[in-house]
Amino acid sequence: MLETLIEIIAKIVVILALPLGSLPLIIHVERRGAAFIQKRLGPNRVGPFGLLQPLADVAKFMFKEEVIPSHVKPFFFTAAPVIALTFAILPLACIPVTGPFQFMGREIFPEVFRSEMGIFFAFAASALGSYGILLAGWASNNKYSMLGALRACAQMVSYELSLSTALVAMVFLYGSNDIHQMVTAQSGYWFGFIPKWGFFVQPVAATLFLVGIFAESNRLPFDLAEGESEIVAGYHLEYSSMKFALFFMAEYIHMIGLSALFIILFFGGYSVLPGMDMLVDLIPGSLPIFQLISLVTKVALMIWFFVWVRWTLPRFRYDQLMNLGWQRLLPLGIVNLIVTVLFVYFRN
Amino acid sequence: MDFLPFIIFFIIANVVGIVLIVISNFLGQKKKLERKNDIYESGVNPVGSTTRQYDIKFYLTAILFLLFDVEIVFLLPWAMAYTDSTNKAFMIAGFVFFMLILLVGYFFVINSKALKWEE
Repeated sequence: MLETLIEIIAKIVVILALPLGSLPLIIHVERRGAAFIQKRLGPNRVGPFGLLQPLADVAKFMFKEEVIPSHVKPFFFTAAPVIALTFAILPLACIPVTGPFQFMGREIFPEVFRSEMGIFFAFAASALGSYGILLAGWASNNKYSMLGALRACAQMVSYELSLSTALVAMVFLYGSNDIHQMVTAQSGYWFGFIPKWGFFVQPVAATLFLVGIFAESNRLPFDLAEGESEIVAGYHLEYSSMKFALFFMAEYIHMIGLSALFIILFFGGYSVLPGMDMLVDLIPGSLPIFQLISLVTKVALMIWFFVWVRWTLPRFRYDQLMNLGWQRLLPLGIVNLIVTVLFVYFRN
Repeated sequence: MDFLPFIIFFIIANVVGIVLIVISNFLGQKKKLERKNDIYESGVNPVGSTTRQYDIKFYLTAILFLLFDVEIVFLLPWAMAYTDSTNKAFMIAGFVFFMLILLVGYFFVINSKALKWEE
């Protein structure tokens, strides 16, 4: 009993420390990356390479006033950022950072909440994130906030459809909904050097999924919920201090969680990077460590991709966004699903 | 008992946000100013009320989302059950029939311009 409890706590600490601990670093990389792409300097004064800038920002957020204007609905106004952060963190419960391994005579599954339906749970929880945004926009009692929240929700639900069709295609292809089996199906190589990642089997589904996670996490080029030129800051317009920071954290953690899901489905999850197999053979018993390193590396590359896209592509117009979602990606997803199913059926 | 890790995780996920807000409430300065209570509308006085009418398209999108999301909810268990099923031809026939009905509905929605955003 005590051992079980210690195991649960240890897993929770690891799965929360990874994203929350790397959050300042990610924000720093984002700002320096923006500066790099735009030929600016970026934050480089506080600490070496400006690395302490995010910590200074956190301190400043802490010491700012929590303004609750008189026109808002105070309870929901305060609850909204907490809800947004909760549902951003929740999907992480089902994401395994390594494969199952033996430790002190116990077989340990690294996800906090071990379930056969893990991947569906993660998607359901991350989709609930739109409630935080909708609540924030409604409780703020501000036209810009309300418009931002409506836009964010319409956008998130629209892109969830094409994302889910891609998910169905992948679940069908792997023949299993268990994350560990999905990752096992993706380990190994074709011709000795191309990894058997889902991306190479289903590039269309991967593209749909990638566009979907950009829209789900409200990142540019689908940043319509906070289009500065139209609705100032969208749903978090009336927020200040730590409550604003919570929305910020929620967005980044949401990004990390969705990236991890994308990598599990299309880039082999925690299966070791090509070339790392030799190292694993060299040091016995080091497989979980290298798996953890592989997953973190893949997620880090994915985050850099987010930053790269954000500072390269301009924002869409709202009608373009909705047309892309409903009239291009959704039919593409459905056709891709039908083709996949028929291909698998007639191959046998 | 199986859900114990999940319950602990859920509580911790909530506590993170609540604790941060409470800390900032204690540390932050408090200065009451009448101007801080104004609705922010780009610096000018607020015009009209927030409970105005919004575009019907947002609601149509939500309703159509429900329709297509139910489709996904039906397809997920189908995709999981396919591997273990004995009569695969029947599964495929059901799938194709279902998708055809869905596509008819989809083209009806597109043709009736329910999702046309540009004026």
